[in-house]
Parts: sequence; structure tokens; C-alpha cells
Amino acid sequence: MNRRSLLQGLSFSMLAAKLSGTSSPFGEAEEPQPEPARPIAANDRVNIGIIGPGSRGQELIRQLLRTPGVEIAAQCDVYEPRFAEVNEFVGKKVPAYKDYRELLERKDLDAIFVATPPLFHAPCAIAALNSGRPVYCEKTIGFTPEECTNLVDAVARTGQIFQVGHQWRYGSWITDGIQRVQRGEIGEPTHVYGYFHRNDNWRREVPKPELEHLINWRLYRESSGGLLEELGSHFIDLANWVFGEQPQTILGTTSISTYNDGRTVGDNVQAVFGYSKGRTMFFSSILDNGIAGAQLWVYGTKGALQITLEDSTIYWEKAEMITAASHSKVIDRGLKTGASYQAETLTPYRGPGLRTQMKKEEDPTLTACKAFIQSVRTRKQPFANVDVGYGSGIACSIGRQAIFEGRVATLPQLKRLG
Amino acid sequence: MNHRKLPDLEYVDVRNKRRTRFGGLFAPPRATPSTTPLQLYSATHPAMGTEYSLYLYAHSGAHADSIAKPVFQEVDRVEGLLSNYQPGSELSRINREAFQHHVTTDPETFRFLETCLAWSERSQGAFDISVGKLMKVWKFFGASGAIPTPEELAAAREDVGWKKIKLDRTARTVRFLAAEIELDPGGVGKGYAVDRAVGVLRARQVGAALLSAGSSTIYALGAPPGEPGWKVRVPSARKGEDTVSTVILQDTSLSTANLSEKNFVHEGHLYGAIMDPRTLRPVEGMLQVTVISPSATDSDVLSNALFVSGPEDRAALLEGRQQACALVILENQLAAEYEATRWPAEVANGHLAELADAEER
Repeated sequence: MNRRSLLQGLSFSMLAAKLSGTSSPFGEAEEPQPEPARPIAANDRVNIGIIGPGSRGQELIRQLLRTPGVEIAAQCDVYEPRFAEVNEFVGKKVPAYKDYRELLERKDLDAIFVATPPLFHAPCAIAALNSGRPVYCEKTIGFTPEECTNLVDAVARTGQIFQVGHQWRYGSWITDGIQRVQRGEIGEPTHVYGYFHRNDNWRREVPKPELEHLINWRLYRESSGGLLEELGSHFIDLANWVFGEQPQTILGTTSISTYNDGRTVGDNVQAVFGYSKGRTMFFSSILDNGIAGAQLWVYGTKGALQITLEDSTIYWEKAEMITAASHSKVIDRGLKTGASYQAETLTPYRGPGLRTQMKKEEDPTLTACKAFIQSVRTRKQPFANVDVGYGSGIACSIGRQAIFEGRVATLPQLKRLG
Repeated sequence: MNHRKLPDLEYVDVRNKRRTRFGGLFAPPRATPSTTPLQLYSATHPAMGTEYSLYLYAHSGAHADSIAKPVFQEVDRVEGLLSNYQPGSELSRINREAFQHHVTTDPETFRFLETCLAWSERSQGAFDISVGKLMKVWKFFGASGAIPTPEELAAAREDVGWKKIKLDRTARTVRFLAAEIELDPGGVGKGYAVDRAVGVLRARQVGAALLSAGSSTIYALGAPPGEPGWKVRVPSARKGEDTVSTVILQDTSLSTANLSEKNFVHEGHLYGAIMDPRTLRPVEGMLQVTVISPSATDSDVLSNALFVSGPEDRAALLEGRQQACALVILENQLAAEYEATRWPAEVANGHLAELADAEER
């Protein structure tokens, strides 16, 4: 796809400017508001403006509607049918804007949610921070490495609350599992394997052909980091949490094995991220077989943690040393020699009784939204802060290029403003 | 509360006799030639502990697939909202928290609960979404049933009752007045999901489709080409008889409540999973209720409420719903008895439709 056809489909003015290299309308040049937003009292209503109420944005709104003391006060999208969809489930007419800068001019908004395609996350989030409002920004925080850095800088410069949409950090069963890993329950965690497999073309229905790139932005390199960014970023974030750091390197591959339908991102991705002390994270995503589903394994020297979207389970390795009463036989009769192959040592563990299972309760997106609103009220940075966002964002923005180009890439580590 | 025998489905495709499973890969979006003749396609989808079936007329498999996908996505969304088997659902969250504090919920869930409470009031408690604890003490939640101890029943009495659910429309909050109240959407959830999914079909200008939630709630949208409507057969409750009545539906829903799906026998006595929330016991003396109503939510609720209600209350409920038709089959030692109200088709064994209307005249 060339730039012209992309632009025909994606009428977003920001994209036009971004791809043509002309002066930026994104707000980077705007002066930050010197005073941070006031704390909001416990009983005060928090007015939310949302930029990009598509499928993910609408899910955020649904969860915000379940959060006490929140009002959906403004929405912005370049695709107008979204407005009626939002009004329908919010139950009232939410003031709508086609230009996010007009939304940000509203003085009565207390916090901004950014759920656009990732290409616009950083520009919109930085402009919102500069306007003096706390920001909840969907992952990943930047499409390019520079955008990731710019967003970190903008949070530091404005002193605003910032939360990245890594809601899995707020899942009770995930938190429980990772805290068990951090307490040493599976020994030293050395490898994380994440699978996001599905049997689904990953394509959205398009009402008119000219809307293909606007609706199916996930399928095109110009506007999407593909499966690594959209699905892998959650797993990369969990690996970062487990290892307590961001990755240092990435090696990966991608191709189209089934869906030769004009898309330019792969329908499968395999990537290996390197961490310090030789630790690794492997991510696999395929779209033509869903048997493995979505699951993450944290492998430790004494056991493993499995995380799914519904529960988490700890498995322990079998004990290595057994005190046997028959040791005298070894001494008296000698050890018998024979074939060394033992199938049972290579068979995946399937035994009963060694599981510790933690179940899902509240939807983690709701928990994440509640946590953000609490942060807005208390002015305390949330758990999924901008550093967390940088960790997955830099991995995906560098990783995207490395995978497309088929090379090993080194990732820049987070640097704070001096 | 929502355990029904499946009325047999019959769809008619006179010209093509074609019934095709969806499959294959997605074709890139393109306009389907309107000259391609419509054919009947079907797809199934597991949800809400049963199987949803969709039959629709479309120009191609890809066209049908592009409609079925969002329809079933909507069913899944509603299940994620209302399932009491999913801990992450909004209903489960309300069940966990609403005694401890006022739970803010989204407008859709709030409206759903308002609808349920309105039906409880209208039916004088015959329909009651607060029967979750009752279903558990009778072991109908995730199992096939068993008689509870008197102590269990006494405890359940504290935890059942729609009047113990308080809604605040201004704040959009839910509060329970008893600690162990559990909402159970069994008597209304599938109907609500069907209504929402039919909304998706309508939004896509689908002219003819039949959507079935495990056949206990069915919606007939439009009619097959050249036909007056979609045929649905209501099964007989009597042994040896197949069908008690065949109705032809267009732009309306049908729901059936009966005891065939979940029940158990103790000392020769049949206990079914449709509870009377007022007596805390399974309903007796009823075999089956089928209701036709433009709203699938209404037909689902009404079929259960009529099943639970006595004769006078049944008449009063139907009197207030002039668009609803009902076929009630009562248990009788010698033969099943029927009550037909505005029923639009013949009933087997010479029981003619419109009996109730005829008597009124």
C-alpha cells in the first residue's frame, strides 16, 4: 500500500501531517500549562473526555460508567458513527468533536482518555498532558522510540498523572501469581513464554471499501505494529514486571502464512526479548490456529506460573532429591547400565494435586479505571505509570522495525530528564 | 429458573433446500452482487450454557459470515455482562458487592435490572431475578438438583426477594438489603441476549433470519422468501405426541418454559428447576408454557412468570399484555389440559386456537 491509498482511507488530519513530514499539529510545540490540575475531592464528579471511542475506547467507557463519581463529558473521533454508538450506551448525548484539540479546549474536563490507534497515542497524550489534565493512554505509549521518550519527558515536565492501559497489572489473579513468583515460589524466574494464538483473521468489518484503512488500521504497517504491538505488548509488560526491568534486545520474525488479503503486517509473529543475566521472553502469535489460546508461562528454577485471561496456576517441579531406603542396593549390587531415555522426564507435567489456582473476579479494565480515577483524586501516580508504559512501548516500537527488517536490535533504556 | 425443553425448529427453504455451515477464510471486503440469489445459511455458537443457532438468507457464505460474527459477538457481550457463572461479569460484581455498598453500574445493566424488577412487581413475585440462592440450595446451579434441608430453605428465605433489591436511578446504583442475595438471570438472560442480537441483524438490514437461544427463546425476523413466516413447532408434553401446535412467526419472538432440561426424581416425585420464589419450591402442576411476544425479553420472562402463577394471575398477566399470546399446558393425571390465549394456530386434539378469546366473547 502506498501513502496515497492510506491517506484516502484514513482521513485523520494528523496522519496526513505525520506521514507527509509537514509541520506537526500534534501539540508538541504547545506550551505546557504551568500549574497542575487541582486535586478533586472524594465526592466531586470527575469529568472525562475520551479521544478515540472505537472498540477499545468504548470498553473503557463501559467500565468508567461502573466507576462511582465519573461523568463521560466529551468524545472525539474522526469516524462519526462512533458518536451515536457511545450516546446509545452512555444513555445521553455526549458532546462530540472531530478534532481532539477542540476537546482539549474544554475547561471542565478533569481527565483525558486516549484510545486512538497507537499511531496517535503519543501526540494526543502529550497534548492532553500539556493542557494540564491527567491522562489514561492505551498501550503502547508511542509508535516510535522518540515518541516513547517524548511522552516520558512530558509526564515529568508537566507533573501530571499518567496511566498506561496495561490493565492486566490490575487483574487480581495475575497480581497474585506474580507476587508469588516474586516471593520465590517457583525459584528464580528465568524465562517467560507468551502465546497469543487465535483462529481469526483479525479483520474488522468495513461498511465501505474506502474506510478499509481507517477501520482496519491494525493490518497495515503505516499505522500498526501488528501482533507484537497489539497483543504482545501485554505479555512483554508482564515479563518486565516479573524481571523488574525492560528488555535489552529483540530478535524476531514475521510472515503471512494464511491471510493474503492485502495486509502488510504479518499474520504470525515470533519474537525473543533478551533481559539481563541471560533471561529471556519469548512471544508467539498466530492467527490461523487457536488451540493454545492466550497464555503466559513464567518458568522458574523450581516451578512455573501459568497465567490465562481467566485464572493463574502454579506448578512445581518434582522434587530432585529423594531419600531412598534402597541405597544399600546401589552399594551392594552396583548400578545397572542400560538405555538413558526416560519418556516421563520429557512429558509435560500433568499430575494432580500440585496446583495453586487463583481465579479471576473483577474485570481488570474496571479495576484499572477505578485505580486511575483514584489517582486523579489523590494526585498519586498509578501502578501502571509512564515508566511501565515505556518498558513495553520501547520494546514494541523497536521490535516492530527489527521484525520487519529481520535483524537483532538493541533497545534504549529509560533515561530520566536531568 | 430457565430450563426448558426445546421446541423443535423447522425452517423452510423451498427453493434451494440448502443449509450450509460457515467456514473458510475471510474474503476481503467487497460488495456482494445483489443479483446473486439469496440462500439459506446457518451457524451455531455456544453461549450461556446452550447453543445459539442462527439461520439467515444471504447472498454468499462470506456475506452470511459477516452477519453471523457480530450477532454472536453481541450474544457473548451480553453473556459477559449478565452471566452468574462468570466471576468477571457485571452481574457477578453486583452480587459480590451490593450488600456492602451502593454499586455504580452502567446504564444498560441498570435498565436491565429495572426491567426485571418491573416484571417482578407486575407478576407479584412470580418472576424474581433474586432466586440465585434458591437455585443453589436446590442444587440446580451447575448441577441437576436435590432436595434441600429445612435449615437450608429457611436460610434461603432471607436471601430471596426482589423487594430487597434497591435501585437508585439518579445515582445509577444497586444495593441489596440482605447479605446473601444472588441475582440469577436464568429466566430472562437469553431473551435479553436475543433482543440485542436481533438489533444487530436489523442494523445490518437483514430481511429474513431466525435466531434461537438453545430453542427456549426464538426470534423470527421477516420471513423466508415466498413464505408467510418462519415455522416453529411447539412440542407436545404428552407421550407419543410430537407436536402440539405449529405457529408461523414473523417479526416476533417465542419462548418456552418447561421442566425437561433440569429436573430430578425423588421418591417417585418429579422436581423441576423452575422455582416459585414465593414458596421457595419447584413449581408443580405445570408441564409447559409457550409465549409469543414482540420482545424476546418479554416472552422469556412471561413464559416463566406464567409457569409459576396460578390461573387467575395468569389471566391477569396476559390481560395486561395484549400483544402476547400464550399456550399453557397443565399437568393432569389422565391427559394434558391446555389454556390458549390469543394463540394464533391450531392446537392438537381438536383444541382450537383462540379458546380464551372465544370465551370472552
